[in-house]
Amino acid sequence: MRAARPRRVLVTGATGLIGGRLCEVMALTGAFEPRPFVHATGSAWRIARFPLDFAVGDLCDRGSVDRAMDGCDAVVHLARGDDGVMRRGLENVLRAAATHRVSRFVHISSVAVYGSEPPPDSVGEAAATRPDLPYGHAKLEQERRVLRYRKRHGLDVVILRPPNVYGPFASFTLGMVNTIRSHGVAIVDGGRNPCNLVYVDNLVEAILLALWRPEAPGQVFHVTDPEPVSWERCITDHAALAGVNVPRVAAAELVPPAQERLWRDSLRALADGEVQRSLARIPLVRRWFQWLPEPAKRAARARLRRWEPVGHHGSPERRFRADHPFIAGQKRAVTHSSEKARQLLGYTAPVSYDEGMRLTEAWLCQAQILDVSSA
Amino acid sequence: MASIAAKRPAVRPARGSGAVRIGIIGCGAIAEGAHLPAVLSSPQVELAAISDLDASRLQYLRRRYRLGPIAFRDYREVVGRVDAVILALPNHLHAPVGVELLSRGIHVLCEKPLALTRHECEQLCQAARSAASILAVGFVARFFPSTELTKQLLESRFLGELQSFDYEFGSPGGWSPLSGYNLARSTCGGGVLVVSGSHVLDQMIYLFGDVDVISHADDSRGGIEANCRTLFATTVDGRPLRGRVVLSKTHQLPNRLRIVGERGTLEVRGGRTRSVTFVPSGSTLRHEITATALPPADAEPDYFQLQLHDFVNAVRTGTAPRVDGEQATRSVVLTECCYAIARALGEPWCEATLERLARAAPHPVPEAATPQPPALASAP
Repeated sequence: MRAARPRRVLVTGATGLIGGRLCEVMALTGAFEPRPFVHATGSAWRIARFPLDFAVGDLCDRGSVDRAMDGCDAVVHLARGDDGVMRRGLENVLRAAATHRVSRFVHISSVAVYGSEPPPDSVGEAAATRPDLPYGHAKLEQERRVLRYRKRHGLDVVILRPPNVYGPFASFTLGMVNTIRSHGVAIVDGGRNPCNLVYVDNLVEAILLALWRPEAPGQVFHVTDPEPVSWERCITDHAALAGVNVPRVAAAELVPPAQERLWRDSLRALADGEVQRSLARIPLVRRWFQWLPEPAKRAARARLRRWEPVGHHGSPERRFRADHPFIAGQKRAVTHSSEKARQLLGYTAPVSYDEGMRLTEAWLCQAQILDVSSA
Repeated sequence: MASIAAKRPAVRPARGSGAVRIGIIGCGAIAEGAHLPAVLSSPQVELAAISDLDASRLQYLRRRYRLGPIAFRDYREVVGRVDAVILALPNHLHAPVGVELLSRGIHVLCEKPLALTRHECEQLCQAARSAASILAVGFVARFFPSTELTKQLLESRFLGELQSFDYEFGSPGGWSPLSGYNLARSTCGGGVLVVSGSHVLDQMIYLFGDVDVISHADDSRGGIEANCRTLFATTVDGRPLRGRVVLSKTHQLPNRLRIVGERGTLEVRGGRTRSVTFVPSGSTLRHEITATALPPADAEPDYFQLQLHDFVNAVRTGTAPRVDGEQATRSVVLTECCYAIARALGEPWCEATLERLARAAPHPVPEAATPQPPALASAP
């Protein structure tokens, strides 16, 4: 096993938001020597601003991963991609890390492992995981694979579960600004639920600590900003940057998800009097309905009366989709806590929400995403 | 700016009247994506050789395009088999390989930028002159009808007295060279100013004449810059003219050249190769201007093939190609001037938290752990 305080760190997913900032911070502070693993060299502009020791290759190619690992003391695995990258890519990195006996393997997962409606006890990391979307399933499968390597090969692994990561270059930030501009988001039921944010530099702090703190191996940590920020505040602050007012709606006014719409619109069609009269003219349907017990007949009639006719679908007040990530996210009532990271890793989350938003605004202006004259 | 004029001796045309035998040296992404299709679909040339150090890449190309036994790992093996080559190697190899091939009488169409330094450019131009070989440079944007149209409009004083010009070109990421040469200053020669900016600088010089650099700021931290902002000054019709160039490889910009004159604003948009837009002063009406000699809109030409045919014509007739070595040298000289006076582009989101983040490092903090000062702009 290499030294407990690693120097050279292989960073997969180095061209992404977190990997890019991690490499920047490592290079600028000199705390570690990053070796960014790069697949598409045309995506590496942000980190190529530094004279780094790049490893160009494909995570699904065992040989290129093995060569990249040579001489590294630790790994931060951030790569995302298709099924091959998520499974075979991770397996290749884990195998190479075990073979080269690195001192630490930091795997970045997500609170998506708790699903869209996380259990109330997922304030802490011990709660049961129950992903309901492909990304959450993939992340949970990865966590299990990583923990198997600790059990079977003694690899010192650490798993970090961040929520929404915001800040300069963040797709959450860009998505929020663009969705607000295109009037695709609303504050639902007052937006009281927690947004569960982490500023990218706070996550980088946690990664740096996880790379060497002796208390970290084998542990799973939430990494969030300690200051609770509601969806209302988050959306309102981004809307102020974009110079747009965001409407407020009740959950009942949202356009339901596709599956729900399928049933609802079918029932609405059946609720139409003309359709019912047409069906009643079909002898088989009439016979089938007569065979139903009286309570079932009453229930069916009552159920059909609940639905308004099809023509009302798509009315302007129902333009917000319930399954849009920025609207669906507002149903998450749990605040994931990073108390464990604070206690075991010494995580401080040094950037407050206000400072994070100020730095984000500075970047949005320089990138000409915001009009400098109006910001 | 010093003039880079040179006498052009009579060039030795290619042998015979048949197709010109072409080799492609360097078989990376641009070769496969642009040059190979242009060569394979042209009746004016015959693909006689391809060369790349990567044997698996050669094998892939031979299979994919059903090529004969024309693949060589050593570029020197193409000598005697070709009349001319397309040089699509990493930037730092343009000069050494180009000089050798030109000196051996092989005509060269070199991908942009011509070379990393003015000195290397001059070596290439000298080699071409000495061996009476053609040296053309792949500034494909010069073949866009919109470029020529803009030139004509400026020469006819369509805008009246010019007041300013403004280039804004940017998109996140971009072309991914397979060798990764684009990740280092030593092999690429620079960042966005070289990769995207060489087209901009070449077009700017073509439209406005030689320009001076007033200021240049970029975000290089010892590597290659991803963003830069540069101010230029020149003189047009005896009157001073200032312009700005903003380039990015991390975020989207409008991708347009705007030229403001006393009669209105002319806009040349990236991706719209056939027309330019004119907005008269004091008006909100936008007029689209198209060259009269253009083919129908649905027949967008392959501009790499137009560039190839211009090169072949120069090889056959001994006339100058549209962009020769001397012209291409000017944009390299301008790039050197920018890097020589580079200062750091402000990035408060990058610096503000470093001291706090450094505390998360294992202790004792390595010697180099002091956060670097922001003034780390491009080093030439």
